[in-house]
Amino acid sequence: MQRKILNHLKSWEATLIILLVVEIFFFGLIEPSFLNINNLLFSTSDFAYIILAALPMTLVIITAGIDISVASTMGLTSIVLGALWQSDVNIFVAMIIALIVGVIGGAFNGLLVAKTDIQPLVITLGTLFLYSGLATGVAGSLGAAGYEGISGLPMSFAEIANGSIGSVPYPLLIVVGFAIILAILLHYTGFGRSLFLIGVNPDAAKYSGISVDKVLIAAYALSGLGAAIAGALLTSYFTSARSDLGNDALLPTITAVVLGGANILGGSGTIFGTLLAGFVLGFLKQGLLAIGVTNNVSQVVIGAVLIIVVALKIGISRFNQHRLNRRALDNRIAIE
Amino acid sequence: MKIQHFWRRQETVVLLILFALVAVIGVVNPSFLKTSSLLGIVNSSLILILVGIGEMFVVLTKGIDVSLGAIVGLSAVALGTALNLGVSLPVAIIITLITGGVAGMFNGLGVTVFRVPPIIMTLGTLGVYRGLMLIITGGSWIETIPQNIKSMAGWSVLGVSAFAWFTLVMTIVTAYLLARVKQSRYLYAVGDNEEGAYLVGIPVKFTLFTAYTLAGFFSGIAAVIFVAQIGFVPMQTGSGLELKAIAAVVLGGVNLVGGVGTPVSALVGGLFLTTIDSILVFLKVPAFWNNAIAGGILLLVVFIDFRIRQAINARQRHARMMINRTSRMKSVAKEG
Repeated sequence: MQRKILNHLKSWEATLIILLVVEIFFFGLIEPSFLNINNLLFSTSDFAYIILAALPMTLVIITAGIDISVASTMGLTSIVLGALWQSDVNIFVAMIIALIVGVIGGAFNGLLVAKTDIQPLVITLGTLFLYSGLATGVAGSLGAAGYEGISGLPMSFAEIANGSIGSVPYPLLIVVGFAIILAILLHYTGFGRSLFLIGVNPDAAKYSGISVDKVLIAAYALSGLGAAIAGALLTSYFTSARSDLGNDALLPTITAVVLGGANILGGSGTIFGTLLAGFVLGFLKQGLLAIGVTNNVSQVVIGAVLIIVVALKIGISRFNQHRLNRRALDNRIAIE
Repeated sequence: MKIQHFWRRQETVVLLILFALVAVIGVVNPSFLKTSSLLGIVNSSLILILVGIGEMFVVLTKGIDVSLGAIVGLSAVALGTALNLGVSLPVAIIITLITGGVAGMFNGLGVTVFRVPPIIMTLGTLGVYRGLMLIITGGSWIETIPQNIKSMAGWSVLGVSAFAWFTLVMTIVTAYLLARVKQSRYLYAVGDNEEGAYLVGIPVKFTLFTAYTLAGFFSGIAAVIFVAQIGFVPMQTGSGLELKAIAAVVLGGVNLVGGVGTPVSALVGGLFLTTIDSILVFLKVPAFWNNAIAGGILLLVVFIDFRIRQAINARQRHARMMINRTSRMKSVAKEG
């Protein structure tokens, strides 16, 4: 196991680290102020929500599933938080209730995925609409459907996304902490290993005594939790609760997971990879902004990066396979 | 398409529910049944139906295309830009359709030649196409569009808009072609069993490529109708449309595991979702609950479908068991 992890590090994660370093220095060359360490650390707050959703999504994708409802879970969490606060619930109690709502939303996805044979994409597509509808419904009923949302949240709450310990902002700490917990869960527990087995062969998982249903429900619930934390963080970041927060998060979230090395067909993926890929993508966007490339162009760049990286990865693995086949064939001919 | 299967098909069931729904609302409030309001629903469902048919081609092959909304947006921008440059209407429409088709081809290229998994390829191009759309227009709406395209929305035959007739004809023609032409059956074969299709000599890659191209082409058609009906091109054109289209076709009976579905599914599903929206408006339910109800219905329909399949399976298994038992008893009796 130890060696396997080391081998993995050598390949894909190492590539990502190199990519990250090259990227940061590339942008630093064009725009030297980008290299300012404080600047770099604080810019992570702009994309922490993507990584928070992507980390547990890795678990779901490893089981050969997908959770596209995360984008609307963020908005739902945000509006629930705001609505509770507006009815005089303490803001931190409101936040915890909102996180629980996110977990329940995720567990509901997991329940449907586990108990039926309907594809996860269809289920989470349904709940994507359902949760976003609930969020806009609640917002609309409270007269907070507009751009403003529910604003005027207390400063103590805004501190979560905007405060820091030294020059390390809280969102970055939350991301790293969440990543460590999930990495332990995924790579060092039976729960984690059963996720991989379910992704590779759900029948084998079932017959080897794993309670597949519970594992799946837990994976989707974690995905809901990640999205809920992201939603709460966004709410704190903008100091206003809005039902449409995180609506644009779906593409970058899945991109981060896939770029991080997880196989969309299930069975492989690492938390560290997703974390690194999240930073690569986040700094790519920040860097492009810093050198004066507009958001529109960076959307094109990120989409293209996703396609090119995956195409290259598939191409390289096919080339390697081909080479191994050739070598095996040559060896056999030589022996004969 | 045997007659006894007709009543079991999901399209039929959903269509019946739709009729029942319209009838109930009509009884409660007869003004809902006015021809003008029913035709209004039909007209606003056309775009969803056409994108749905496009999506269906891809889903038949076991793929998924989440870039179709962006293709509608890009094609609409192409149409608006071309018209404003003084290109004649027929040529501009051809340019639009080509834009859609080429965007679809590009998806097909990635999926077949570079073997990028469909969801990743189309997520990537979702970003690319939407970014391109914003770059072409500089991020602003195309508001001044020549009158001649808008007048197309006013054309009608027998009181029904020409676009509605066109969509109906497209549905029937594609349904006929998919049912009767050998090459179009390849789509089903590839979706049902790609390896098997390859082994019996079906050009798998070409079939996949065609499916994505057709999906883009139909999105191009939808873009023409969109611009004609709306009369301008807002930046969010087509945003989220791909997910709605997937919801519509799944509702209409297309199965995401591939190989199951007809254009009629897209027609029925698209009409159903649009009707729900209209009914909610009619019942004065605030519009912000629409998504929640659409998502709830989607989940409910796929869940009921799952339970029915489960029940049928159980019954068949029971029947098989009984046959086995009686034949065993007979053989025991003979031996005795």
